[in-house]
Amino acid sequence: MNFQLTEEQQLIEQSAHDFAKEYLDPIVLHLDETGEFPKGIVKELANHDFLGLHLPADVGGAGAGFVSYVAVIESLSRSCAAVASIMNNQAMVSYAIQHWGNEAQKKQYVQALVTGETIGGFTIYELGPIPGIGPDALVATKKDGGYVLKGTKAYVRNAGEAGVYVVFGITDPADPNALTAFLVDAKATGLTVGPKQNTMGLRGCPVAHVGLDNVSVPETAVLGVVKAGREIAAKVLALASVAEAAQTVGIGQAAVEHAAAYAKQRVQFGKPVATLQAVQTLLAEAATDCYLARLGLRSAAQLVEDAQPFESEAAMVKSFLARLGSKILVDSCQVEGGMGYSEAMPLPRLFRDIAGTTLLDAPADFPDYTIAASIA
Amino acid sequence: MSILTAEQQEIKKAAKEFVAKYIIPNAAEYDRRGEFHPFLLEAAKESKIFTMAIPKKYGGVGYDALTQAVVVEEWGYGCAGMGTTLAAGVLGMDSLLIAGTEEQKQRYFEPILKGGLAAFALTEPGAGSDAASVQTMAVRSGDDYVLNGTKCFITNGGYASGYVILAKTDPSKGVKGISAFMVEKGRPGFTIGAAEHKLGIRSSNTVELLLKDVHVPASNLLGKEGDGMKIAMMTLDMGRTLIAALALGVAQRALDECVKYLKERFPGKLQPGQTLQFKLADMQIQVEAARQMLHYTMNLRDSGLPYSKESAITKTVCGDVAMSVTTQAVSLMGSYGYTSEIAKLMRDAKIMQVYEGTNQIQRLVISRAVLSPAPAQAAGKKAA
Amino acid sequence: MPKCLVCYKWTLDEKDIKIKPEDLSLDTSRAKGKISDFDRNAIEEATLIVEQQGGSVHALTYGTSAVQQSLKDVLSRGPDTVYWIADGSAESADACVTANVLASAIRKLGSYDLILCGEGSSDLFNQQTAARLSALLGLPCVTYLEKLSVEGDTVKATRKLADCTEVATVKGPVVLSVLGTINKPRIPSLKQVLGAAKKPKKEIKIADLGLTPEQLQPKAIHKSVKGFVAKRKNIVYKEANAAANVGKLTSSLAAEGLL
Repeated sequence: MNFQLTEEQQLIEQSAHDFAKEYLDPIVLHLDETGEFPKGIVKELANHDFLGLHLPADVGGAGAGFVSYVAVIESLSRSCAAVASIMNNQAMVSYAIQHWGNEAQKKQYVQALVTGETIGGFTIYELGPIPGIGPDALVATKKDGGYVLKGTKAYVRNAGEAGVYVVFGITDPADPNALTAFLVDAKATGLTVGPKQNTMGLRGCPVAHVGLDNVSVPETAVLGVVKAGREIAAKVLALASVAEAAQTVGIGQAAVEHAAAYAKQRVQFGKPVATLQAVQTLLAEAATDCYLARLGLRSAAQLVEDAQPFESEAAMVKSFLARLGSKILVDSCQVEGGMGYSEAMPLPRLFRDIAGTTLLDAPADFPDYTIAASIA
Repeated sequence: MSILTAEQQEIKKAAKEFVAKYIIPNAAEYDRRGEFHPFLLEAAKESKIFTMAIPKKYGGVGYDALTQAVVVEEWGYGCAGMGTTLAAGVLGMDSLLIAGTEEQKQRYFEPILKGGLAAFALTEPGAGSDAASVQTMAVRSGDDYVLNGTKCFITNGGYASGYVILAKTDPSKGVKGISAFMVEKGRPGFTIGAAEHKLGIRSSNTVELLLKDVHVPASNLLGKEGDGMKIAMMTLDMGRTLIAALALGVAQRALDECVKYLKERFPGKLQPGQTLQFKLADMQIQVEAARQMLHYTMNLRDSGLPYSKESAITKTVCGDVAMSVTTQAVSLMGSYGYTSEIAKLMRDAKIMQVYEGTNQIQRLVISRAVLSPAPAQAAGKKAA
Repeated sequence: MPKCLVCYKWTLDEKDIKIKPEDLSLDTSRAKGKISDFDRNAIEEATLIVEQQGGSVHALTYGTSAVQQSLKDVLSRGPDTVYWIADGSAESADACVTANVLASAIRKLGSYDLILCGEGSSDLFNQQTAARLSALLGLPCVTYLEKLSVEGDTVKATRKLADCTEVATVKGPVVLSVLGTINKPRIPSLKQVLGAAKKPKKEIKIADLGLTPEQLQPKAIHKSVKGFVAKRKNIVYKEANAAANVGKLTSSLAAEGLL
């Protein structure tokens, strides 16, 4: 059992780290203040092959594997988790189309997603608790050799910047399993992007509701087959759990390192506070949680690479970080005392960012239910 | 214990109304702008909230400690930032209650009775948790003291009319060389420095104070030279309980919002499953337990019994509960929590673990009391 | 279409090195390896020239068995082939030994139009490799390069010296050492990283270089390497007012000869 990254994986991680230092560090404050979408950075991500990291070479990807993917996401997140969010949501769309799309769909979209010419948005959640159920559900009614989509998708990342949305709609409101995925062009008539949400953190990755008011799509817009939506959503969201966990760990690691450096130079009671056991405990617990979470998420990522079942492990990682992710920042900020509350320092931004990576848009009992089902 | 008298119920109701009218509708906007809220001072003046800590004989409403906690919890429920403004004003008055002469009390309560704010200035860039290492100097010069130094992270610093400032009168005596002074706004050489942009309680005014050859008459000294840290510690014992009340309000608010959201999200037949129900139950347990601790501590205070340890426990538990409950609320409320005022509650909660003495300092106080307990008090003094 | 050879060193990353407070010795146990900083610039420069004009870039390194960790890293940055020499002698090698080993390897590999090095290594910064190589190989040498251009067999090099810049023109082959300011080494793209596995990595055994024991004997011996920690005097002036404190401070500084 080898817990080390391979040489290639290490070099990829190193490139991501160098990329983050060169391209992300200089803009992270600006992104947080303005929430501006960093188009130039997306171009650079594409130039360095990050957007196609997980996709095969024949579509312009790097074919590097999911372990490399999470290592990259963690490295980028140490500098700017908002950009990692953009990349994660882009990858959800490119993965879905590559995996379930037919030749025409792959030809139309995958290359453009790899080069960053097209941004992708993955729209699964609605204002109600379970997609496809309730008055706000996105309904897809068969009509004239195609479908008409009506409803609202909630809290869509990359909304407004995306050129294509993967939209999950219920093709038969009486059947909760009739969830179907559609590829919808952002310019489709009847598609509107709501006002940008004011997110606590991860600013730079836009979040908005996407309304579909009788948007017509052809039969060929169906991704996979009719009623394959739940299967597609489940797989993509399970992968996203692991990818988001990598964001959480990256942010947490950055926080621990900053807090430790601060504590070494902050003198109170005649000594650096890093010598106080109280501070050591805070740092130790935060560092421990990062370390264990990283092991968990990389192990889950390896299962993905090995095409093994991984959904339960992904849920475990999600559940662990739902409980302890924000604690890493609560404790890191605590080490810095009053300075840990000042927006002149990086920790408050990291505090605001990390909560966005651990939150569950699925009903919060989802991880426990999944895990218990696999062991009971 | 926390069973309120009819009068306390009335006061609580009035506080709720004040908060609903003035604080809740404006909290998000002022947080977004990170700006102070002078309108609140006008409103508070009318309702005499500022005079909560000032005894009736001086013209204040003179609420007992438990009643203060009940009111301050409502402020925290509405907005921790605005609540901090009001609570810090009360804290500033506490030092006078502890160490002020009759004359000083009359003199400094007067602007508060007119709707002014107070500030308590202990912290310096080099003196945070190590409060005893203050460097601000106060040198006797004729009938005056001359103050020089810098204070930082001072709540209400830009808007107070009176400040309690801790300064060293005798460097050779260490902790026992620190004294407490009342300093009025506008004294030459006393300037307000930069304001902090904070993660939370953003509408609360947090500034540096700069003192350059500030003369204050000797009659501004609180107590005797060298009493400073003792006064500060006793003031903090009181202040910690009020901060705890704010934190409790934040926690209760987060819990209420979470319950409201889940009930709307799972209307009718779709009920949140046991996992969610139990998370709510855990939040409720934390908030209730914290409230009981706070009210018990206020009972001790009102009975004249020692309560330093309990004050530290209360501040710790309420601060930690606020952080835990708000974090849980954001998590349970998903993207809605992350993009709404619920996120503000989580940002506001963080400071509750830090100011008025970090929860690590509180644990030092508590562990000392646990390892070397004070002798038990006479039974007759215990409150019913 | 110049044939370029870049010599590089695999060093420890100094940011991972901790100084033991008891005796100021270095704890390198957690230090990862890296390509020496200015060698990265040399690799980038050769790669840029060949991208514009055609030709080839080979990389050559001499070090302990740790150099095997460097091979894919180097190949992901542009070179087509990497030659590596791993030997225990590298542990104590001085500039003399290093140049002897590299020169004999270069003679074995054939002729190159440009032989590039970084100005000095990140760890020792002796700045001798280029000069010694040129002497051993009988080639001209140009150092302190902040700009380089190649036209046919002519090399135009701009040297950054302490108080001026100097432009030198040389007809190749030539040994060159480059400064950190000559270029900005690219971040290897993922395709470059994954492509490195397919490029040749060739070991040169030191026994095959025909070196005598004297040539492998260092003339400069390292006795120890210690860290430097700035020690604070922690003298605090606690006079009653600022003026008095300033007075005491200035007297103290003057007594130390600093004013």
